[in-house]
This record gives sequence, C-alpha cells and structure tokens, in this order.
Amino acid sequence: MATAARPDASPSSSPAAHGSVARGVEPLRAGKGNSFLLRKLHSLSGIVPIGAFLIEHLLSNFEALKGPLAYANQVKFLNSLPLVRVLEVCLIFLPLAYHALYGVYIALRGKANVIYYPWSGNWMYMMQRWTGYIAFVYIIQHVIRQRFMGVSLPEHPGAAFHKVQMELSNPWMLAVYVIAMIAVCWHFSYGIWLFAAKWGITPGETARRRFGYVCAVLGVVLAVMGLASIYAFVGPNYKNAPDDVMPAQTQLSMPASRGASLSEGYLARI
Amino acid sequence: MAEKVIQIEIKRQSGPDAPATWEKFEIPWKPGMNVISVMREIAANPVNANGQDTTPIVYDSNCLEEICGSCAMVINGKARMACSALVDKLEQPIRVQPLTKFPVVRDLSVDRSVLFENLKAVKAWVPVDGTYDLGSGPRVFPQQQEAAYPLSNCISCCCCMEVCPQFNDATGFVGAATIAQVKLFNSHPTGKVLKEERLRALAGDGGVQECGFAQNCVQVCPKQLPLTEAISDVTRDVTLQVAKDFLRA
Repeated sequence: MATAARPDASPSSSPAAHGSVARGVEPLRAGKGNSFLLRKLHSLSGIVPIGAFLIEHLLSNFEALKGPLAYANQVKFLNSLPLVRVLEVCLIFLPLAYHALYGVYIALRGKANVIYYPWSGNWMYMMQRWTGYIAFVYIIQHVIRQRFMGVSLPEHPGAAFHKVQMELSNPWMLAVYVIAMIAVCWHFSYGIWLFAAKWGITPGETARRRFGYVCAVLGVVLAVMGLASIYAFVGPNYKNAPDDVMPAQTQLSMPASRGASLSEGYLARI
Repeated sequence: MAEKVIQIEIKRQSGPDAPATWEKFEIPWKPGMNVISVMREIAANPVNANGQDTTPIVYDSNCLEEICGSCAMVINGKARMACSALVDKLEQPIRVQPLTKFPVVRDLSVDRSVLFENLKAVKAWVPVDGTYDLGSGPRVFPQQQEAAYPLSNCISCCCCMEVCPQFNDATGFVGAATIAQVKLFNSHPTGKVLKEERLRALAGDGGVQECGFAQNCVQVCPKQLPLTEAISDVTRDVTLQVAKDFLRA
C-alpha cells in the first residue's frame, strides 16, 4: 500500500515527536485521554437534568394559558421548592453551561458535508448543531434578561406574567422566542433519539425508525405547547396584565393559600 | 456514425506537496466502461483534451469487482469505488478526484494507512499464534456465522471515513470501519478473548464517542455493512466496560 509520510503510530510517541510532518487524520489514541467521559457526560446531561428541566419549564409556561395568577402561582410554587437556589445552580446552571460550552466545542470540530451528501441523517446532524447554536445564543440572553435583569421573580412571583408580556411586546423579541422555541424543541427531541442510538438502546434500524416517530411526536407536542404559551402572553385574553398580581407579600411573610386568596381579591378589584 | 466520446476531468497532483490541478480528457467510448477502464485508456494514450502529452494517471486498483477496496475515489462529488462506477450511468463530464481526507501520494492514489493503524490499535484479529498446536477452535454455530458475515464483508475502502463529518483532523475519529471490526472480532468465540482490550482502546480519544450519528457511513458503504448498528452496539459495550472498570478500580 502506498504511504505518504505518516509514520507508524507507535504507542510511545505522538507523530509530532518523530520530527516529520503528520499528514491526514490521526489514528485512534487507544485508551488515552478522557474525551469519552466528557462526551458521554455531555450526552447524558442533555437528557437529565437539562431535558427534564426543559419539560418542567414548558409545562410551567403552559400555566400562562390560565392567566396571570395561575402563572404567578406556578412561579411561586417552583420557588418554594426546598433548597431551590441550590437546585437551580446544580441542576440547571452548571449542567446547562457544560452542555452548551462542550456542545459548541463538539460542533466546531465537526465538518458538515450536507452539500455533497444530502442525506436525511446528515441533515439532522447539521440541524442538531445549528439548533444548538440558536439555543446557545437565545438561552444566554433569556437567562440574563429574565432571570437576572428587571424585577426579581423569586421575590416577586406575581410580576412574572407582566415581565414576560413586556418582553414579548417587542415583535423582534417575539420572533426570537418563536424561533428559539422551535429550535430548542427540535434539539431536545432529536437529542433523545441520538441518545438512544448512541448509547446502544436502539441499535436496530427498525427500532431507530420507530423511535424516530416517537421523538418527532414528542418534539411537535412540546413545540406546540411552547408556542401556545407564547400566545397566552401576546394574545387578546390577558392584555395589559397588572405589574404584580401578588403585590403585598413575600414568600417568608405569608402562607401560600392566604396569598392566593388575597391576590384573587386583588384581581377581582381591578 | 460519429464516434462517442467520454469527457472526464481528473484532479491531479504530482506528489504529496505538489499543487493540485484539474486535467481534462476525451476518451473514445466503448461498451461497459468503468472509471478504471477509462484511466487505462488514458494510460495507453496519455494525451489530454487539449492534445498535449501528459503522464498516465496514478491510482490504486486491483480486483475490478468491488471486493479489494483499493479504488475508492470521489467521483462526481461522491466517494465510491471506481471499478463499479459505470461510465454509462455517470453524468458527464465525469469529475474524479482523490479521497479528500487522506494524504495524496500522487494523483488519485492516497495513503489510507490510518485505517491500518486503527485496526491495529483495536487488535482487530483473532489471536491464535503460539508455540504449540492449540487444536481446533470452538464451534461457531450457523446463527453466529450469519450474524458475523455482513461485518466480515468490509473491504477497508475507507469510504465510510471519507463521508463522515466527524472524521477529520480536529477529532481524529477512528471511523465506522474499525468500530464494525471490533464488533465482528468481539463476537468471534476465540476473538472475544481480547474484547475488553478492544473496548478500552475505543474509549480513548478519537474513539466511539466522536460519532455524531450522521449515518453517512451506512449510506455510502459499497458492501452494505450494518455500520450504524455496529456503532450503537459497540458504544454500549464500551460504556459498560468503562463503567465496570471504574467500579472495579
């Protein structure tokens, strides 16, 4: 067989150590490095906890269809979970940051070739990377603007509906949310499919196809639910929601049931 | 009747570091030609379409029946075996270039030794060498043979690696062919003695984890190996092996 300069990959030395120019793709570094662990962690973190959180988030958003008070109660409930700030950091921020940064690293190292090989799996490979990029940019601004800027929702859950409504009143921002909602649901549902395929849960071709239908249905359901929630904020039902539907209380000073009844009274007055 | 002519453009390069140029040829048509036989016609009369003398094309080929794996090249934008690329079924001008992810030796001949290195790294063999007669091996039932046979069809052409978006300089991904051979030899009743070593090797950098499941490999494979199934199965085995090693450490 003809060879062009790449020396034998002797186990003791890297090609660079030979002093000759390494050409072509490097052979397997058998048993070396920890990219296996990092990559599997990336894959797993996309399902739990990030995927689980995504479902929770979409279900919570869905409460907005019942109006500002129901939405406020959901926000309040989530913030009443034990050790909620610890949960937030350990189950959301840290895994999300890892998944996002390592994901960008993975995506940047792939060389998409859909122009030459326009096959469905190859398209999905590329889409998984592009939806990931969209989610990356969107989530950064979403967390900064909705979690860390403006009125703090953990202390003022009643302001949640108004805060989101103000954000979505900008048509550009609305477009960003709609695009990101579809991209994120796509990324998650195809991510589940990839997880099953790559962890050896669905090795069979037929099993993968069937599971593909399951994931597609899930993705569509999640996206429709998400878009419906967006509609709750911008549609005619809850126009001009009050700044805060639970104005007079904090979590520490008032039991939840009394807070809710007070707020209903407040809502009835306005 | 006017003589039918085949138009073919070939990307040429006189050596590993030489610049690449496209050269055009017009070759008289004959029935049943494939890309290799066109290049044989060029070798018989090395004159390009401008009428200038040139050198014969350098390329790898051997069996001419898609079983040796030598003649993989990119034909009209797709990686495939040149011997089974029939001229009558190709759009003209036929554009032929070397595999893009392997170092060019000259013209269409590329250095695919990375696959050999990878197969060595995962010990893709049945270890039976020794100083005395080991006797006959364990019996392989027909059911096992049927399961293993498709994987044994690999011809090491490297098409699966060429089309893989993850097989590149940045990742150093091992590629589908090697992973499929790991499944083959791990399923062999004697070969599986090295199963754990193979799986540990594949957990190294550039191992199974780099697969992005674009599934181009299984689409392009000229021998229809169940490559995605092999990747899925082997990745599960590697993951379990890593977990076992972690808990036994």
